[in-house]
Amino acid sequence: MNPRKLLALTRAGIMESLQFRLGTFVTLFANLIYLVLVYYLWKAIYASSGVDVVNGMTFTDTMIYLILATSLFNFLEMFVVWDMSRSIQSGKIILDLLKPMKFRRYTFWSYSGSHVVSFFLTFLPTFVVVMIITHGAIHMGLNLIWFVIATVFALLINFNIEMLVATVCLYTESTWGINIVKETIVLLLSGASIPIAFFPDKLKTVVEYMPFRGVYDIPLTILLQKNGSDTLEGLLPMFLFQLIWIVILTAAGTLFWNYSVKKITVNGG
Amino acid sequence: MEHVRGLAFYTKLYRKILVQDLKTKMSYRADFIISTIGMIMTNLSGFVTFLILFRNFPTINGWDYYHMLFLYGFSLVALTPVQCFFDNNWNLRFMVYSGDFIKYCFRPVNVFFYFISEVFDVKGLGQLAFGIGTLVYSWIHIGLPVSFMIILKLIVFLITASLFMIALMNAAAATCFWIKNSGYVMVIMFRFKDFAKYPASIFSGIFKVIFTFVIPIAFVAYYPSLVILDPDNVPLLSLLSPVLGILFFYLSYKFWMLGVRKYDFTGS
Repeated sequence: MNPRKLLALTRAGIMESLQFRLGTFVTLFANLIYLVLVYYLWKAIYASSGVDVVNGMTFTDTMIYLILATSLFNFLEMFVVWDMSRSIQSGKIILDLLKPMKFRRYTFWSYSGSHVVSFFLTFLPTFVVVMIITHGAIHMGLNLIWFVIATVFALLINFNIEMLVATVCLYTESTWGINIVKETIVLLLSGASIPIAFFPDKLKTVVEYMPFRGVYDIPLTILLQKNGSDTLEGLLPMFLFQLIWIVILTAAGTLFWNYSVKKITVNGG
Repeated sequence: MEHVRGLAFYTKLYRKILVQDLKTKMSYRADFIISTIGMIMTNLSGFVTFLILFRNFPTINGWDYYHMLFLYGFSLVALTPVQCFFDNNWNLRFMVYSGDFIKYCFRPVNVFFYFISEVFDVKGLGQLAFGIGTLVYSWIHIGLPVSFMIILKLIVFLITASLFMIALMNAAAATCFWIKNSGYVMVIMFRFKDFAKYPASIFSGIFKVIFTFVIPIAFVAYYPSLVILDPDNVPLLSLLSPVLGILFFYLSYKFWMLGVRKYDFTGS
């Protein structure tokens, strides 16, 4: 595949999202208010517990974890499900299917531009604010590079989950329902609403094997250097976990998509 | 004064529009089932988060498990009206962009009433059931008395609490008359409601003022529920909350209508 073609899609995506600058700033502003809410809530929670470390997480750890999880959520958000169902209903999907490029690849690269924009305009400023507030509690070293790599993998896992769910839209028009089910499952089981470190043991064991952990928990654990991720021996299983799920989800997603698209052609006549 | 109609007229009209809406919904049964499952899932996930939190931390700011559960159930019930009756606010921005909104301006009824009454969201009822269940369960465990007066108080203050969230969403939806892409504003406001289930006593300083009077999430559960939970020393803000609720609702309604007037001028 010609990389220049793909980068053209990225550029188009960047220009498109820059059209909606206001939305980006509103998101950033909301993140900051959210940061305040998380700060007060967890400060009260830790103050009531009387101890500084709960399940290996200090107050600062928990705060960084939850705020950056929200920020990552905005950064990774793709709206594939919404866009897909809209283009199915309007019939625009035919034009995308006719493009001289695999549909999944086309979708991924068209979204890549908006990821670039939201990374610089919402994720990075939030990250800087968190860093200032916590007085450098985030270690500045190799873990930043590992974090970026893990985030790219997280992006791929997230994209594949989105595509799998979006394919379901070929069968039903209940976009709201499908989307809310997906969002709820991903947010809870990935540790975005409450860090996985706090989960009861049985639930934790189940969640350990699910792909959702690879979206928020692994990048943030690596950033905070928890669970032995500050050593190569601790780091490798995490990356391996993410890679295995990328392969599984890509394969499943491609098969499901190819099968469903054929079916939709039959229905369409 | 021909356009000012009585309450009886609007009640009758609401019932007629409601029946039409339910008939439409019935024809999309699969959508209804999937959406209901989605709604149950969100509530379950919120509950699981709550349980996990309390497994690690037995009290929050002096509030124990059952009192927090009460607050949680209270907020769920208080958030039901905005979900059931005011769900059409989510469609406002699409209507305004496409120009379809103009149809509401040509009817001899109140524009806000007509627009809002068009959609009744049935899946909100699942949340209501979940909330009432939680409320009753914690009520029994705290050992609160059951009398006619206390039930009446509960209902009055639940309605009060719901007004604040309705006002917040009205105002958020109405921003679409002025700014493009206002979906973000609504999504964000809606996300703040997740913090309504925690005691507002955790906030301090300027943010206490903000979350009480600017983004009034402290009124969605905390202040109104204190009337029931702590009847011996009810704070002044709790007693004032019905008045404040009506005021917030009225202001959001005025803001909404201001947007409509602006739309009239530019749209046609």
